[in-house]
Amino acid sequence: MAEQGTESEFERARRAAEERALVESAKRGATSAFAALYRNHLGKVYGLCLRMTANPATAEDCTQEAFIQAWRSLPSFESRSAFGTWLHRIAVNVVLAHGRRRREQLGTDASAEEEAVTLADPSVGDEGAVLDLEQAISRLPAGARQALVLVGLYGHSHEEAAAMLGIAVGTCKSQLHRARQLLGERLAAQEAGR
Amino acid sequence: MTPGRLDSAQRLDDALARLPGSIEPARDLWPAIEAQLEPRDVRAGRRWLWPAAAAAVLLVAGSSLITANLLRREDSAVARQLPASGRLTYAAAAFGPGQTLDPTYDAARQELARSLAARIERLPPDARQQLERNLAELRRASAEINAALELRPGDALLEELLLNTYQDELAVLASVDQLTGGNGAGTTTDPTRMQL
Repeated sequence: MAEQGTESEFERARRAAEERALVESAKRGATSAFAALYRNHLGKVYGLCLRMTANPATAEDCTQEAFIQAWRSLPSFESRSAFGTWLHRIAVNVVLAHGRRRREQLGTDASAEEEAVTLADPSVGDEGAVLDLEQAISRLPAGARQALVLVGLYGHSHEEAAAMLGIAVGTCKSQLHRARQLLGERLAAQEAGR
Repeated sequence: MTPGRLDSAQRLDDALARLPGSIEPARDLWPAIEAQLEPRDVRAGRRWLWPAAAAAVLLVAGSSLITANLLRREDSAVARQLPASGRLTYAAAAFGPGQTLDPTYDAARQELARSLAARIERLPPDARQQLERNLAELRRASAEINAALELRPGDALLEELLLNTYQDELAVLASVDQLTGGNGAGTTTDPTRMQL
């Protein structure tokens, strides 16, 4: 995404070292270090949850649950992998588990219901084009939306995204293709309607 | 792909790239999260380590006694018949990630190892094998505790166990020095008094 490109190598290295120290401290039980990790990663985790669920209230619940689970699992976290990627994996698991529970409770396809939800989070942005795109993403079918969010927005590889979503790599690729096709059609229709 | 479609795909990519990666939630989520963070029971993770490390130390202590008995029983004439094959190696002692032992401790360890090298080669095969097993066991224990320290840097119990293991290793080497007629040249420092 746009804001990642401007960070210098030095700054990235400094942030990585700082994060490693925070992770080690949090592993040993320092909630203050975990609070710092929370502050550093909240925006991305909430953004991921919001875009995957297309529902701000559900996204808040999933974000909370993801951080709570991360705290519990932190002692087993291997510092060789990136904390952010690990946290994203937890968040995706939480979102998927939430979807499964919801389907069980409703006895119906909750993702179909979620498709009808309009993403109306005011913090998403007030630029018309950005909001149009966010809304178009939120209205994608769940599978296509999740592939687009993980691969197209958050830069995970198809392999990583497929593993997180519990689907085949080929399925992930076709879901992303479908998402892009639908988005293109919907944005073109929006532009034509103006 | 036609030029029109390519253009459309590029515009979509550009639009996706402009989306913010971070979105702040409308409300503060931290208080609800913090309320559910159970205090970390740092000691809980040690439970498997304590018996394992204690068992290793006991095993080595027991083996050291056996070695001492074997050495006492051996006749020096028998010892002289032994071929000088193989050498014990002494890796640098460590104390968890980014830590080092007190230089006097490491120096004493190396000095003792040097002075013993020749004498160990003259040991009877079974005594020598036992000694090698003891030392290998001690080093395996110290490697395991070092690995655990990497996961829990600064853990006081692990540090104590590691110090004990190094001291046991020194004690085994010192016993060889004494039992093979050493004059104590390699034990100028009392290993049991060494501190980090």
